[in-house]
Amino acid sequence: MKQTILSSLISAGVVLLMTACGADYLNVNDNPNVATRPPLDGLLASASYNTAQNQFRVSNGHSAYYVQYLASPNEGNTTDTYLEISNGTAWSELYDAMTDLDDLIRFGQEDGLGRHVAIAKVLMAVNLGLVVDNWGDAPYSDAFSGETLRPTYDSAEELYATIFRLLDEAGAELSAAGDAPAVREGSDFVYNGDLDAWSRAVASLRARYLNHLSETSAYDPTAVLAAVDAGFTGPEQDASVTSFTVRNPWAQVAENNANLLLGGWLSEQFIDALNGTTYGVEDPRLPLLTNRNDDGEFVGTPNGAGRQGDGTKTLESYLVLEGAFSMESSPLNIITFAELKFIEAEAALAAGDQERANEAFATGVRTSMAQIGVDDQSADQYLDQAYPDDDVSRDDIFREKYVALFLSPETWVDARRYDYAYADFELAENAALNTFPVRIQYPNTETDRNAVNVPIVTMTDPLFWDQ
Amino acid sequence: MKPFIRNGLTSPLFFLLLSAGLLGQSTITGTVTGDQGEPLIGVSILIQGTGSGTVTDAEGDYSITASEDDVLVFSYTGYGSVTRTVGTSSVINVELQAGAQLDEVVVTALGISRERKALGYAVEELNSEEIVQTRQNNLVNALQGQVAGVQVSSAGGGPGQASRIIIRGVNSLDPDANNEPLFVIDGIPVSNETLTVGGGGSRNVSNRIADINPQDIETMTVLKGGPATALYGLRAANGAIIITTKSGKAGRVSVDVTSTYGTEEVNKFPETQKTYTQGFAGNYDPNSFWPSWGPTVEEARQYAAENGLPRPNDLFNNFENAYTQGNQWRNTVSVSGGNEKATFRTSLSRLTHEGVLPFSTYDNTSFRINANYAATDKFSFGGGINYIRSGGNRVNADRFNERLVYWAPQADVNNYIREDGSMIGYRNEGTVGNNPVYGEATNKFIDDVDRYIGNLNFSYSPLPQLRINYTLGLDQYSDFRDNFGQGSVYAGAPNFEDNLSNGNGFVVETSIRRRDVTSNINATYNAELTPDIRLRFLGGFDAFDSSYDRVTTTGNDLDIYNLFSLNNAADIRTSAALVDRRLLGLYGEMSLDFRNAVYFTVTGRNDWSSTLPRANRSFFYPSVSLGVLLGELLELPEAISFAKLRASYAGIGKDTDPYRTNIVYRNAAGFPINNVTGWTRDDQQGAPDLKPERTNTLEFGADLRFLSNRLGIDFTYYNAKSIDQIIPVPVSNATGFSTFILNAGSMRNSGVELALRGTPVATADFSWNVNLNYTSNRNEVLTIFEGVEDILIGSSFGYAGSSASIRLIRGEPYGNIYGRSYARYDPNGDGDDELFIDYNQPLLIGDDGFPVIETTQKILGNTQPKWFGALTNTLNYRGIGLSFQFDTRQGVQKYNQQGNFFAAFGTAPYTLNRNETIVFEGVTADGSPNTKPVFLGQGTGPDGENYGAGYYRNRYRGSTENFVEDADWFRLRNVSLSYQLPAQLLETVFIRTAGLTLTGNNLWLETPYSGFDPEGNRGNGNGDDGFGGFTYPSVRSFFVTLNLGF
Repeated sequence: MKQTILSSLISAGVVLLMTACGADYLNVNDNPNVATRPPLDGLLASASYNTAQNQFRVSNGHSAYYVQYLASPNEGNTTDTYLEISNGTAWSELYDAMTDLDDLIRFGQEDGLGRHVAIAKVLMAVNLGLVVDNWGDAPYSDAFSGETLRPTYDSAEELYATIFRLLDEAGAELSAAGDAPAVREGSDFVYNGDLDAWSRAVASLRARYLNHLSETSAYDPTAVLAAVDAGFTGPEQDASVTSFTVRNPWAQVAENNANLLLGGWLSEQFIDALNGTTYGVEDPRLPLLTNRNDDGEFVGTPNGAGRQGDGTKTLESYLVLEGAFSMESSPLNIITFAELKFIEAEAALAAGDQERANEAFATGVRTSMAQIGVDDQSADQYLDQAYPDDDVSRDDIFREKYVALFLSPETWVDARRYDYAYADFELAENAALNTFPVRIQYPNTETDRNAVNVPIVTMTDPLFWDQ
Repeated sequence: MKPFIRNGLTSPLFFLLLSAGLLGQSTITGTVTGDQGEPLIGVSILIQGTGSGTVTDAEGDYSITASEDDVLVFSYTGYGSVTRTVGTSSVINVELQAGAQLDEVVVTALGISRERKALGYAVEELNSEEIVQTRQNNLVNALQGQVAGVQVSSAGGGPGQASRIIIRGVNSLDPDANNEPLFVIDGIPVSNETLTVGGGGSRNVSNRIADINPQDIETMTVLKGGPATALYGLRAANGAIIITTKSGKAGRVSVDVTSTYGTEEVNKFPETQKTYTQGFAGNYDPNSFWPSWGPTVEEARQYAAENGLPRPNDLFNNFENAYTQGNQWRNTVSVSGGNEKATFRTSLSRLTHEGVLPFSTYDNTSFRINANYAATDKFSFGGGINYIRSGGNRVNADRFNERLVYWAPQADVNNYIREDGSMIGYRNEGTVGNNPVYGEATNKFIDDVDRYIGNLNFSYSPLPQLRINYTLGLDQYSDFRDNFGQGSVYAGAPNFEDNLSNGNGFVVETSIRRRDVTSNINATYNAELTPDIRLRFLGGFDAFDSSYDRVTTTGNDLDIYNLFSLNNAADIRTSAALVDRRLLGLYGEMSLDFRNAVYFTVTGRNDWSSTLPRANRSFFYPSVSLGVLLGELLELPEAISFAKLRASYAGIGKDTDPYRTNIVYRNAAGFPINNVTGWTRDDQQGAPDLKPERTNTLEFGADLRFLSNRLGIDFTYYNAKSIDQIIPVPVSNATGFSTFILNAGSMRNSGVELALRGTPVATADFSWNVNLNYTSNRNEVLTIFEGVEDILIGSSFGYAGSSASIRLIRGEPYGNIYGRSYARYDPNGDGDDELFIDYNQPLLIGDDGFPVIETTQKILGNTQPKWFGALTNTLNYRGIGLSFQFDTRQGVQKYNQQGNFFAAFGTAPYTLNRNETIVFEGVTADGSPNTKPVFLGQGTGPDGENYGAGYYRNRYRGSTENFVEDADWFRLRNVSLSYQLPAQLLETVFIRTAGLTLTGNNLWLETPYSGFDPEGNRGNGNGDDGFGGFTYPSVRSFFVTLNLGF
């Protein structure tokens, strides 16, 4: 009896040992909450949505303050006064989006998803464009793979070449992608899989990045105009996102500001450009963009000066939920027809085609007015008042593009190409630099973790296209 | 008859005693002597399982009333303890062996009982009385100050609030690592996690050991890691707390009732200024956002009178008024008994607790049965099951305290709700300004835990030398968490802002199920090779299977403002997680005992972990330990009654968290949008080639007793080095990830532990015992993956760039707090070390006459104490016992976030100088002494200059240095006064024992820290111990406890 119990216990133990040590028992380390191969429509959904969000992240993080669309309510604010900043949030979100796009291109090519691959290349170009135009040199050819801990940097020129290559490839692939499997309904947050629209966006983007070279010897206005010809033909083709998790991120800024999480305060520079102070003409768009203060005035906050009052009264103008760019479902733009028209005007002027410039300029202004909600009559009235001369100048183009592209990160590229020559444009109060910033610092995720590769720059070192 | 006569008892008393005997009780007398026959004075005699007892007198004689089958426990410092069961004889003489304490049996790894003297490492044990001494409901807190090497930090005084326990320092560089020891109850490893999912991050949620009723615990043994826990394997790499619950004793059935009432209050409030009222720049404005930047109350009254405004109030002390008195009741009934074959114990306990922060509650209902049956001489089995229901409303102390800073002191924060249910704010006639009390009334987080802990044990001993044990355990709980915020009572009604963050009100429901199954079989074989050499072999196998399942559903925008149901929400989102982890371990031990003088033990264990890549998931690690009793080998001087030396070495392998070996894709944040899901590559790159971590610990110790064991010293030195640590290494985002999981760092903890025990007085009526313990731990980060500058453990917000962070860098200890500081004048730019402030250098004063902020982050302090210790005195006089414990922590700093806000909002007393013009002491950039007078206030100063928001907002709050404070403390942790009714008084009633205890905790605190009690932490995670301020404040508490035995 004793022997039986003993031997049965021992054998039970041995059996337990054998079965338990069986390899299968321990094979539970495949995470059941995630995928090892993602649905490619899902990658596209996330990347297309975030490409628009990244416009916001760059702008609200720094560029809207540098171009003085916005100003901080706090005196001597770091961003306002050009103290060193890096906008690490935008950097990491841009690389997150580009990582997903890199996967989408790689997996899409394996699976023969031509449409997905082509769209991904356009989106890649847009995100890479934001990286290079804000930071300069950046990792790309050595990036995304996870094989190296410290990716090397490509020069800004190389990155521009990459942008054009991506756009060229995308353009070619879009026209050849008709037979490829469709994009899942709703997964392309920009054009919902419309290849024609994407083709026009590719051309419009090519025009934008060619036009960025205006201060370099490589600038070719006729090439810009050729791209414009293949670009958007109307504002309904704008590349923008109109569906959001909760609301448009600028609307969130407005909402937060109303709840005393301060932000989205309009700069004195922007308000003065529209309320007649700078140009002597009241812009009919202004009441549709922001609020009047308690005295019924539009008042901006001077950059670097901080709030004027104690916060108990509405003394200034802010982003508000009624504003055209900060409503719950305002479109969040990537590139618009209006922008393209100003590019066209600038290139036409450079190419000596004044008439085309005049026409494109007027269309740009009218489109902006209409999109913001100004009626045609008021728009015409404004154009007559503000520009009594029919022939537009480069100054006129930059002045109106500044307003039409309100909150767009593209305006900082313009400002640098234009050497911040907007009328009455001044350095912020208490500015830490004696010139305007022309790039931002690399985030500490790079300086701490990739110190061997990250270039050492200051915020006054111009990019290659900014001469 | 004879013994009675010998003790000089007269016949009437004899008859009385005889009659008492008929009631089941009789007086037992006897003499306790040492092994040389000398009478021992002050030997403690306790009736096991009750509080009643006595001590021997100057002749070593004692007398006690006890029942047949009662077990008497005789114990004496340095002599160990002996038990005797009361039989028919009324005389029990006992001889105690000097040094026999070392025959004392302690619980070691795997629940194996071993003689203390046979161990080559330090072990400390708490008995049931020590555990309930402080009346702490969280069992972890019972260890506060009790054991050298063990640091217990409670996050605050919230009901049921979590406490963190760290043994011998933090061992891991991984900010997410669990650095706490393994908890084992009756052989079953149980969960002690503190889960913050579902919105519990800043709520005072519990650590899961808080579920356990401390009154169910017989002993708690602390194994400090390394050699002590090598047999337990990787899960005990940070040490282990081995808990044995009370079980029934053979004998008659006994019923014990314990009832405790407690009351508590905040033990320390921050100082606030009581002069200036609402407004900005010295101007009064009852609608101002700014609570205290206005004029003095007198000036405000004058202004109000002139301008037809309502008369400004005196200033309320809302920091004190917002808190209330806490109350708690705990009642426990236990029934135990049995016979020689079968024993059982069952207990039922109920705790209700309302905390000092309004609306904070915690309830705990616990039911436990333990039963054991000895079927034959060779086979016995038993088991236990514990059901617990726990939870309550976990308030958001962080937001509560933050809103108290914003709240204007001229408004009464307790006037928080209108009749229609809307919030009363502090400005614009109560329509604006978040009321923190209203917030807690309408924004709640309620958890509801159902937990089952069960164990089954089988023991079979086919041969006298051989014993086989099998233990099967289950720890399963569900945790249902309901977090909700009330919508506005009507559109536009004043409401608390957190209720409106995603629409009008919200409900977040989280369901968690955790299940841990453990199975452990082992066999022990004892062999006596020669009379001098005995061997003991142990071999075993254990398995651990853990699963976790969570679903969180968020519903935003409520239709009916106060219907907190997901059915009532317009916008619903769900997330889910499943986690599985399995471990197998095969272990063995061989112990050698040479002449009861030299003890040598070798262990080995092989683990297999599911969390590591297949090729590396099997790993082996050994330990050796040696204990030498010098007294057995050589003649010791007379003053030394006992001397033992210990040495040990252990390597413990360690796996990692599940799911760290792959590259994966997860749902993108913010999705689904319009019914479309989004996917994104996970930010963390798993590594397919991870290898196990390893912690190598070297430990030396000595246990010395002097003066017939009246004085004892236990000293331990340890050095633990953790290598190949698996950590998420931060990488450039351009890699496509933000972290790579790598074997990427090493860290060392070394330290000393000292325990001093003495018995200054021991007489028949009076005894006095003193315990002192001291711990000092030094930590150093030895390596971090090349190219990685630092690892961020945590950060805490501060205004104007003054956020504090805890970072690890090579060559520095764990827990350094970084932040901004005032720049120092350093003409040659040769500051000794750019990481530290040179406090000898003068402040650098800018052209504006104010100190300049140094934006380069410097090390401002460290969160880990240089040393900590406690002193406990226990005095007994007849039936009266008094004990008190002093506790200290020294050489530790903390970032006081509340202090930062106090500066920003003019709340701190030092801002009273706001209207002064001063010259800051320091030098200007050219090295000359600063002479520029500046106005400290806001707006235009007496000199006509515009000072904007003023010194405190523009400059002072931006220097983290001002808010990293010394958080040392010295406190009277506990005073306990107890009285046990003499048994003679109870002879004629049905009550067997009766006792009354008064307890006070945290009665006195001495600290330089300016906020709440610095022991409070932001939370229970790594790094949280460096951040204080907006914590649930600690409490001073008083308890009355009544014990009755039947």
